[in-house]
Amino acid sequence: MTETVLRVRGITKSFGARAVLRGIDLDAHRGDVIAILGGSGSGKSTFLRCLNLLELPDAGTIEIAGAAAPLVHDTQGRARIADPRALNDLRAKTAMVFQNFNLWTHMTVLDNIVAAPVHVHGVPRAEAADRAQALLEKVGMAGFAAHWPRQLSGGQQQRVAIARALATDPDLMLFDEPTSALDPERVREVLDLMRALADEGRTMLIVTHEMAFARDVSTRVVHVRDGVIESMGPPALMFGADASPVFRAFLSH
Amino acid sequence: MSEELAFLAATALAIVRALPITLVLSLSSAIGASMLAAVLVAAQQTRIGRPLAHVWIFVFRGTPLLLQMFMVYYGVAALGPIRHGVLWPLFRDPLFCAWLALTCCCSAYIAEVLRAALAAVPTGQIEAAKACGMGRGTRVRRVIMPQMLRLALPAYGNELVMLIKSTSLASTITVVDVTGVAQLVIAHSYRTIEVFCLAAAVYLALTAGLTALLRRIERGLAQ
Amino acid sequence: MSDDLPIATLLGFGPDGWGWALVSGAGLTLAVALGAMAIGTLLGALLTAAQASRAVWLARAAAAYGVILRGVPELLVVLLLYFGAPGMLAAGAALFGLPPPGSPPALLTGCLAIGLVSAAYQAEVFRGGMLAVPRGQIEAAMAAGMGPFARFRRVIAPQVLHHVLPPLGNIWQFNLKDSALVSIAGLAELMRVSLVAAGSTRRPFLFFATAMVLYLVMTSASTALFRLAERRGQRWAGGR
Repeated sequence: MTETVLRVRGITKSFGARAVLRGIDLDAHRGDVIAILGGSGSGKSTFLRCLNLLELPDAGTIEIAGAAAPLVHDTQGRARIADPRALNDLRAKTAMVFQNFNLWTHMTVLDNIVAAPVHVHGVPRAEAADRAQALLEKVGMAGFAAHWPRQLSGGQQQRVAIARALATDPDLMLFDEPTSALDPERVREVLDLMRALADEGRTMLIVTHEMAFARDVSTRVVHVRDGVIESMGPPALMFGADASPVFRAFLSH
Repeated sequence: MSEELAFLAATALAIVRALPITLVLSLSSAIGASMLAAVLVAAQQTRIGRPLAHVWIFVFRGTPLLLQMFMVYYGVAALGPIRHGVLWPLFRDPLFCAWLALTCCCSAYIAEVLRAALAAVPTGQIEAAKACGMGRGTRVRRVIMPQMLRLALPAYGNELVMLIKSTSLASTITVVDVTGVAQLVIAHSYRTIEVFCLAAAVYLALTAGLTALLRRIERGLAQ
Repeated sequence: MSDDLPIATLLGFGPDGWGWALVSGAGLTLAVALGAMAIGTLLGALLTAAQASRAVWLARAAAAYGVILRGVPELLVVLLLYFGAPGMLAAGAALFGLPPPGSPPALLTGCLAIGLVSAAYQAEVFRGGMLAVPRGQIEAAMAAGMGPFARFRRVIAPQVLHHVLPPLGNIWQFNLKDSALVSIAGLAELMRVSLVAAGSTRRPFLFFATAMVLYLVMTSASTALFRLAERRGQRWAGGR
């Protein structure tokens, strides 16, 4: 039996009167590559942002690599962080790659990568820098350590952001539409890199619009619609003739 | 208690009586400083005028207004040609000296505001005006000026607020404006806090009123 | 009579010269401005935090502080503190049954008066600086597991500093010039020294002009310093 890395039960989330998530359960085992698909406004990005508590879910439980999300709810149902230290511990087990890269613009490429290992995990700086150089080589950005983010193209920034995410060797990697802000000719370099990560057994949750990537790389496809999981299964099934009609309609869109 | 109220009422009345001095000083220096600032910005566009305008702005922005007022009222007035010349009737009047110092000082700040606004007018629009055959005068009047004023308005408004506050310095060279009256009343009554709060309220009303007015104009221009 | 003394003697460092007095006056001017800046930064940061607070009354109070202190002449604030402080202190002391402590030192009153005004302006600057940090970069720090302190220290503070340095330079210049108002409280800073020298030598033009030059030296030197600091921090933002 493979180890369960992520265990989500009954996540709901509303923004004002609008219910964005209406009860989501999901498990991920080590090595799973889960592609989360859905139309805009389906709640897929909100779901991802709930996992590392960038958004606080109104209800439900989250457990990542054995650590439970420290959520409590007051009498009106508003969520609150019970224990800030547990929050940071939970986040430290995950890493997120954003649509807009969100590299820290006042740090060099190298400093971006060593920031979390040094300042969150207490790794000695020299050790973190050595590892960062290896990661830069891995993402095809060797020689860019001293560059500033503004000097890089979108695809290069996203590859650095992925190196930054890998720097803490996270149990779970969250990708929030990682190629949506890229020029079409830059999409490939990022997808190829993500495919390599999948091949080495990383546990990844990927919100994406890249259907071919989801079909070829993921171990499971999840279709989110109106804040619930409408259907899910291995890509062979989901993209095959027996897929749910709703998902087929979404694909043909 | 009623004695306290009577004192406050009398003080308020005295301060209101001095309000015209503060208003006249503010308005006349605002006009003077704006006109002088326009001259400075125009001068900056010429080769001879540029260094002169630069020195003017450097000196008046780089030194305290209080010192400038003392310089005009006590320093310049002590010079022979002024003391014994035709300008003496002007320079012996503290109100004129306060006006002159305020005008010179604020002109430097306003000139910087106008210069920045001028630099912010898109060159493409100036080129478009040239391309459709507008002469220099038409260009300045029809394209550059309206754009520049709109861009300058928020910062210009800030300078006017600063100017109103700065008129209070005139009291240090014996002008009996709102601040001057407040000081006189305190010298007689020793009730510092109440009197200063009354004076502060008057200035606050003036600056808040001006801010509100400017915001309205801005909104009007934005439509 | 000093009317006949040559300028070099009057401005020199000899027994009839005002050189030392002017130089130490300039030193006190810098001290007042520095003290005011420090008070303003501390209080300004508190005001910024208060304005961002979820407690509505606290946010309103901080906003009102800003509106009042930016709308009232600096001179009135100096006068209020200088003339009002002894009375306020006496009233405070009376609450504890103590005798009136008298006037606080003029340097302290001066720093406090200019600092209270400076705080109102610095709070505005800090607020703008906080808004200028892209939300996504703060989220990236959260996602990496940084706590509030690490986020502030590693991501927010360096970027805010970059945005606030130029406007803080402006506020510093205003502090420097506003410090002249403290001369009214009798503190022998540059403005006061030049006034006393002008009175006792009857050469007002000479001494006011000298004071202007000294102020210009201080303001332009600080402009140069701030520009240097800005250029240092600007490499990541596309400067040199």
